[in-house]
Amino acid sequence: MARAWIEALLAAGVTPATFVPDASQGRFDQEPVERAAADVLEDAELATHAVSGAAGPPPAAFLDGIQQWRVVGYDGVVPIVRAYVAAAVRRRGVDKRLRTALEAAREFAVAPLAALGGEQRAALEAHIDVVDLPDLAPSQPGPVLEAARRAVDGARQTLERALAERALRLLGEREWLIVDGLLSVSGKLAAHPRALGVIKSFGTQFFEGEALRRALTLAMGQRTSVFRARGGHARNDVYSWYLRLWPWEGNDLLYGLLRIEARAAEETIAAAGGVSSWLLGERAPVSTPDARWDRLLYPIHDVETYLRSRAPRDFLPASGSRLPRTGT
Amino acid sequence: MIDKSRPAPIGRVVATELKPATPHQFHFWTAVETSIGIGAIVKVEEGVGRVVYGVVTDGFAYSDLQTPLHDVVGAEGDPVRAAESPTVRQEIRLWTAAVLRQVPEEPLQPVPLARVFVATDADVAQALRMDTYLTGAQPTGIPVGLYTSGGLEAPVYLDADFLLGPEAAHLNLSGVSGLATKTSAVEFLLASIFEHFPKHKGRVAAVCFNVKGPDLCFLDQPGALTDEDLRRYERLGVAPRPFERVRYFAPYKGDGVNLNTLRTHPDLVSDVEPLVWGLAEVLDFAEVLLNRDDIDAKADAFIDFLADRVLNREFDDPLAGRHRVETFADLDRLFRSIFDALELSGRGDMWRTHHVATIRKVRNRLSNVSTRCKGLVTDDGPASDLPWGRFEDRAVYVVDIANVDPLGQDLVFARVVSRLREGLERRELGVDAVVVFVDELNKYAPADGPDTYVKKMLLDISERGRYLGLVLFGAEQFRSQVHRRVVGNAGSQIYGRMDMDELATPAYQVLSPATKIKLATLPVGELMVRHPHFTQPIFVRFPRPPVLRGRDGVERFAPAADLPFAEAVARQLWRLDRAVRPNTVRDLVDGRDEQDVRRALAETRRRRPDDVLAYFRKVLGSRVAPDAARERAAVPPLGAITDEPY
Repeated sequence: MARAWIEALLAAGVTPATFVPDASQGRFDQEPVERAAADVLEDAELATHAVSGAAGPPPAAFLDGIQQWRVVGYDGVVPIVRAYVAAAVRRRGVDKRLRTALEAAREFAVAPLAALGGEQRAALEAHIDVVDLPDLAPSQPGPVLEAARRAVDGARQTLERALAERALRLLGEREWLIVDGLLSVSGKLAAHPRALGVIKSFGTQFFEGEALRRALTLAMGQRTSVFRARGGHARNDVYSWYLRLWPWEGNDLLYGLLRIEARAAEETIAAAGGVSSWLLGERAPVSTPDARWDRLLYPIHDVETYLRSRAPRDFLPASGSRLPRTGT
Repeated sequence: MIDKSRPAPIGRVVATELKPATPHQFHFWTAVETSIGIGAIVKVEEGVGRVVYGVVTDGFAYSDLQTPLHDVVGAEGDPVRAAESPTVRQEIRLWTAAVLRQVPEEPLQPVPLARVFVATDADVAQALRMDTYLTGAQPTGIPVGLYTSGGLEAPVYLDADFLLGPEAAHLNLSGVSGLATKTSAVEFLLASIFEHFPKHKGRVAAVCFNVKGPDLCFLDQPGALTDEDLRRYERLGVAPRPFERVRYFAPYKGDGVNLNTLRTHPDLVSDVEPLVWGLAEVLDFAEVLLNRDDIDAKADAFIDFLADRVLNREFDDPLAGRHRVETFADLDRLFRSIFDALELSGRGDMWRTHHVATIRKVRNRLSNVSTRCKGLVTDDGPASDLPWGRFEDRAVYVVDIANVDPLGQDLVFARVVSRLREGLERRELGVDAVVVFVDELNKYAPADGPDTYVKKMLLDISERGRYLGLVLFGAEQFRSQVHRRVVGNAGSQIYGRMDMDELATPAYQVLSPATKIKLATLPVGELMVRHPHFTQPIFVRFPRPPVLRGRDGVERFAPAADLPFAEAVARQLWRLDRAVRPNTVRDLVDGRDEQDVRRALAETRRRRPDDVLAYFRKVLGSRVAPDAARERAAVPPLGAITDEPY
């Protein structure tokens, strides 16, 4: 299908391109940098708690998504982007193996339609689902590509959210859903008693001073008090806490550090220790060779690997050099 | 809904730049829990037009673990914790398969990246190209075993045209000793050949040389078979019964009357026929008995002279006189006459252009033959031999030379095979094809060492026997130690469990490491088969042979102790005529020269007269009563000395 609409574009006069932006190979894994408030709920002030030995995990399913995009052509100086987003839920069986329970994918084009020529726009809209980038002032490609990235990111989040909400309906009586990323982006997710968000990037700052120091210098196997995240990126009320999987000393301050999101309920405070305990058990197997292995739970890594194996292969950067061909 | 009429795929072909699919090899993955293994036959199907059959030659399992260190890190160095991981890593079962056949065969292309299925019965027949000889007006399939994999089981057939000639021929079996694989496989295969040898190819027989222990001594006795064996027989279409027509031949022991075999139990020994040869049988194979250094042109010429001009005819020589040489004793008399005459006449050192030293050398060697091969070669008297010209269809002729001196074994082997070749060449053997089974082939046709007569003959059979219907089934422990032209000319090869050192030799380089490991750990009853129609080795299982194994036979039919001379003679005469009474024979031979008795016995056995005892008595000659010792008159003692003077 991709070839058909790209060929239609080229026939309409679009200049072919094969540019794969650096950020297009995975998710843009940074929370927007912003400050947010937090109410410590478990203790009088943010404290550290030792997590008891790794407990056996409950039945669980894991959700993650991927996004890939590339510039396939230019109409003048306006880039036209081909994008692919996918998400899957893989459920862990009694044999400890992960099997796909749900998955969804979407391929689409991203472009500022108003900036395209009539023929090019018609060719694009006739062949593929297009996400428009409105209200963009004519510019060099950079701002358009950043807008495209945000659009793809949003599409991926939408897909993940929809899949997560479907997954909640399929969960067993004791089964948990572990989501890679924010739980608070979905009201249904944020309200579910057995849904967890596992966040491994720290763009939102909840604390300052001594509380911040305690949160970011947790020793391995420790967690912070449960707090309520207010404002920032969160759209729904959730409880949260930090958990250190691996010792950070000798590495980086954020090495092995996770922030967990769960339903905003009293039960979450009571369950934080137990949940942390079995999340600690998820350190093995390690998710190498992924560079984020210290924070990436293996089942989430597995879902990502699964999705990448099923993604169209032509999103990958060309293996050869981008140097001009010599003509021989 | 699952359509059960269509089998589900068990894997899918994958190809990477480093591991591409080629026209001869491909890789595929399966679920971690799969029924296939090394040696399994699979089918790759792409749409409706193209099918590729392959046999699994190697297998790989690995996970997404980048380095073992990461596993240690994840378990924090504690193996117990490693097992407690809540998730198991993604892992793969990746298999390498060698292409057996592509349909259509042209154009020959890389294997498509398509679905992989377990082969069915019909697929196995296609994959091994058995369809070309199992169907048609004159099918030529010989069941060799059952291919089994993943709960499926399919008979595997060899093509008689390529096993027994004329397209190709010969079978070589390798495997470590003691697992009853080589002998058992041959016994089963012979049973299968006898049952399935195509009618249009005529009559077939087998000559088996028993060269060690009691291996082939009980082919006519039923062995113990399990229900599984019986099921396999039924599946292969072979009747689970011992050979109906078996004849045993064994030379005598040194006493010339007790048979040199382990089949001497009273219930069975009557079936064993003596194998005794005289001068005529031996002279053509003098080369076997003489050292290589002895066979110079002069000695060879003199032996030829004896064979052409002297043996079995009236020979009149002005110097040596008139002779008729039929036995070693006659020959020795001729030699003595020549030497005496030369000495008396003073006519120098030459007799009929042969130097006396050459004559003495040949005499020394030949006159010692009966000593060196005592029991097999008779110094005097008639021979007893295989039924040349009267070979029966589907009969096994076992020549037991297990306890014979190596030189005698060579002689037996050389002569029997030569006579078989002559008989087949002249179409007067009685059958159209003969399977010759020789164990310990590395002894008779070693890869290195001198070119013996036996080795040359084995080479000759290997290279030309297929045109005659003379088929060699050779077995050995170490194939690498057998002459490469002998094993190289074997159209079909069977491998039992192999020694790892042997598998490390260059001859096995074509096998994958996994196939070698499988060969090194092969259970009893499983074999790897190579055949001209099979482009890759195939593993098959075969049932236990329908005959009593040698070791079991010796336990059930314990060999009898050697009989005293007279008893042994009586036993042999009784075999010819059940009316013969042992006491009568004992009285007849009592006090007679043993050589005379042996000669009379041999003659009686050769003639097989109606009245055995009377003939034996006649040949033995009437007893000349010794003169009664004359009574000697005692000389009276001198009288007592007395004091009386007179």
